[in-house]
Amino acid sequence: MSPLQFAWRSLSRQPARALLGLTGVAVVGALLFDMLMLSRGLIVSFRDLLESTGFDVRVTATEALPGMGPVVSEAAATVEALRRLPELAAVVPVRFGVAAVDARDKKTREVAIIGSETRRRGEWRLVQGADLAEDSAAGRPGMVVNRTFARDQGLGPGSIVRLASTLTPREFRVSGIVEFPFEAAGERMAGVTLNGFTRAFPSARRDEADLLLVASQPGVGAETAVSAIRRARPDLHAFSIDEVLERLRQAEFSYFRQVSFVLATIASFFALLLVTTLLTVSVNQRLGEVAALRALGFSRRRITFDLLAESALLVGGGGIVAVPLGLLLARVLDSILRQMPDLPSRLHFFVFEPRALAIHLAFLVLAALVAAAYPVILAARLPIAATLRKESIS
Amino acid sequence: MSSRRGLLLLLAFVVTAPRAAVAKAPDAAGGPTPEILVSRGLMRERGLSVGQVVMLSADARGAGARPFRIAGIYEPTPDPSRFTAKRLEARMHLPDLLALTADPGEAGAVDAVGAINIALKDPADASAFARELGARAPAVSVVRAAAGDDAHFVIIERFHVAISVVTMIGSTAFLLALMVIRADERREIAGLLRLLGLRRRRILLQALLEGLCIAAAGAVFGVLFAAVTQGAVNAFFQWRYDTTLAFLRVTPAIAARCVALALPLGVTAGLLASWTLLRRPVLDLLRR
Repeated sequence: MSPLQFAWRSLSRQPARALLGLTGVAVVGALLFDMLMLSRGLIVSFRDLLESTGFDVRVTATEALPGMGPVVSEAAATVEALRRLPELAAVVPVRFGVAAVDARDKKTREVAIIGSETRRRGEWRLVQGADLAEDSAAGRPGMVVNRTFARDQGLGPGSIVRLASTLTPREFRVSGIVEFPFEAAGERMAGVTLNGFTRAFPSARRDEADLLLVASQPGVGAETAVSAIRRARPDLHAFSIDEVLERLRQAEFSYFRQVSFVLATIASFFALLLVTTLLTVSVNQRLGEVAALRALGFSRRRITFDLLAESALLVGGGGIVAVPLGLLLARVLDSILRQMPDLPSRLHFFVFEPRALAIHLAFLVLAALVAAAYPVILAARLPIAATLRKESIS
Repeated sequence: MSSRRGLLLLLAFVVTAPRAAVAKAPDAAGGPTPEILVSRGLMRERGLSVGQVVMLSADARGAGARPFRIAGIYEPTPDPSRFTAKRLEARMHLPDLLALTADPGEAGAVDAVGAINIALKDPADASAFARELGARAPAVSVVRAAAGDDAHFVIIERFHVAISVVTMIGSTAFLLALMVIRADERREIAGLLRLLGLRRRRILLQALLEGLCIAAAGAVFGVLFAAVTQGAVNAFFQWRYDTTLAFLRVTPAIAARCVALALPLGVTAGLLASWTLLRRPVLDLLRR
């Protein structure tokens, strides 16, 4: 009989205990798996969002996040200078603003307005109607709106949006409904051209940009493009997606990384404690049996393998159940955290990666080995004759 | 919009004036150098000191920079929704801020603000006041400042509760396994007690009391452990994020909730484990 078959029989003799052990390992394993997904989930998800725009470099005036620091002044000349760099494929200036609109309930509502050029890459995704076109000299400037704004205001292609103003009315014609990569759930957003932006915010300075979106030439790479920008314009701050993510990892996203680390450590410790306890008690109750097996010729090595197999069955069984259970739990936890205001609705906290699964399995293998260590020592050091005598007397 | 942005811009860019130039630093109007307060984080990050004159500008390249004298250091009010961000901030008089950030070509810019904080004589009038102001000035967004119900914390609390539930399910399984083992270890004793005439109910009562004691001891230990370690946890996160926020606080309500959950769980686990054993025939318990 192989060690695995022997371990199976041993566990089958105590089905309630084995089942509870498996349940415990499955639950804490699921928690561990989730924490592994959480540890990098925001970074992976945010990378997807950043990459979905089609721009791999961001340029700002200072190290502050876009919209939170000084703007890039003389934006037109800066954009032209950057467009002449052979490493860059596209440079798009972007402006951010918040305006008020009169809602249907007579109250005013805020709408985030993005001023940019007509779409080059993935700045937004067209859902309905036509994309933003260059503004004609006469008539109302064009505007694309997100679904929330369209639904709240009853807008569709051709509708007129009137920004609340005590001065001259500022009106825009909706050309289409779009989805912005970074739009938050319930957030009203609109996109206009740079000319349209100055129309929406007459007091805004004309030749400024909050952010420059840059796409490197195919095959050149973001790092080379960043170096080229830094050489050409050392007064600007250029960041590749990796640099942006590293910064977020160190600051804005660090809380969840630390929470996941703490909970993963607790979950691992808990799983270890559970299996160690079950195996130790199991061995203690079977001391006579182990001694008898040794007397029958079972080597210490064989006994060690039997116990390792028992540990592997408990941890492995629980660990396998932990994966679907963890995925299910991750969905629940993710849906809770995604209710946070101002978060991009496409951002996820728990993201499955093969890496997370590999680490989960590695943790479980380690737990199985460490958990079996003490019972193995107990069984291996067992004095055969003395134990058999004690068992027969008792 | 520009005023709000201007404030942020201003705080993001600080250039310290050379020490030698401090005494000579003139105000643009020739008057005394205006004063500012800087946050503790900014002071440490830039190596500033009280009395030093710094040049501030709303422009990334430092155009139009003006001198300000640091009058003091302040600790920003901890903001749980931004605790991961460095608080590199300064406070100055509103006219100084407007003069620094206003576009000279923009009419009325020196008389524009991003927000106005209002304290009502009777806070209960807040909703009515907001309605009335909203009706009189439709272009103004009136928001009631509410403390303690920030959506971020409601969500974080839900997340923590969900994690607690999962942990509790795991620990319940662990506890049950331990109780089953314990009951199994005393199988023969239970059989002997039954043979001696003790009723199932009597033995179950003993198991119940035993479970209660174990659960109470575990819960008290857990609460004490949390109370003792909360200082270390807070110290770590306060150091990590350079904040005075308390991340963990074991309140009597939390301790009571913990004990109230642990006791029934422990008792139920003990009873379940004992019942699975005691329902067997006496001879079976004695392995006969």
